[in-house]
Amino acid sequence: MPYVVDTIEVEAHLVAPYLDAVEQLGVPLMTDAGAFFVSCATTSADIGEIVDVQIVWAFDDHAQWNVIRKNMVLGPRWYEYSDRVAALRNGGTRRVYYRVGFSPP
Amino acid sequence: MIRRFEIYRIRPDAEPDEVDALETACRRAGQFIPEVMYSRVGWNRSDAPAQVVWEHAFTSPEAYQRYMAHPFHANVLDRYLLNDSPQRVVVDNDLGAGLVGYHCTGPVFELASGIRRIVLLRVDRRASPADVRGLTDRLDHGAAEADELILSVVGANTLGSAWFDAVTQIADPPRWTHLWEQGFSGIDELDAYLAGPSALAAAERQGFDGWMNGVIRRAASLYYEIDGTRP
Repeated sequence: MPYVVDTIEVEAHLVAPYLDAVEQLGVPLMTDAGAFFVSCATTSADIGEIVDVQIVWAFDDHAQWNVIRKNMVLGPRWYEYSDRVAALRNGGTRRVYYRVGFSPP
Repeated sequence: MIRRFEIYRIRPDAEPDEVDALETACRRAGQFIPEVMYSRVGWNRSDAPAQVVWEHAFTSPEAYQRYMAHPFHANVLDRYLLNDSPQRVVVDNDLGAGLVGYHCTGPVFELASGIRRIVLLRVDRRASPADVRGLTDRLDHGAAEADELILSVVGANTLGSAWFDAVTQIADPPRWTHLWEQGFSGIDELDAYLAGPSALAAAERQGFDGWMNGVIRRAASLYYEIDGTRP
């Protein structure tokens, strides 16, 4: 099962609204589109560093991701979510990961 | 065969290395996805609100569908293009032509070098089939009318609303109903065409107003050097 892993840089005072957007907009629309919500975690906001928010989505295979992508693009909520989180982040990365054989499920 | 264009407007605050990454991803797609053919990247030199054009083609809808589900697409292209990606390099373009394309019988569009100009046409959806056929026949033979044109191909924008599988219409009809691909050996030839005496160029200068029974309601264009460098 592949994973889309977004690692987002967010200023500490914007972490709460960022997480609100993920929880209230991102999770519903992505799960409706067919993705599996795996986790959302942050680095500490109390150590004087910019906060990393890591969001992980899973999907069965690339054929399914193709359908998820289509569903996202055709839904207006995805654009609202994308605009909302773009205004709250400094930057970040997106990578797709693949589980290795000895990893627990 | 399926001819396809992705036309990108770059995010205004994108760093040069981010733009390089997008350009590289487009240029390398064919190395990883064998279904991507005739792949070339150009930088728009016109005033149209877009900067990058990635032109390519597929032999069939099945080949296109393999491209759409290829890991390179999800891993690399999506990283720079999808709205929700933190590494998105582009913004929506006002041209209404982010993804356009048409079906054709073979690589009639092939142009290894020079200048490609894309004229986006909005043909009157109420126009008679005969009028539309007359228009497309004429544009397909444009090179016989204007000496500067070394390529003139037109196709209905069948991909604009069938981008998922190149078959199924899943979105509203696109703003641009047709694409007219023009080829020139260089910028001088393009300029000469645009200012020249051909009936095609004259119709363009007049915004196609009333031309060919007034079948063209609106047009926009952009052009780029094939595999040219960033300005």
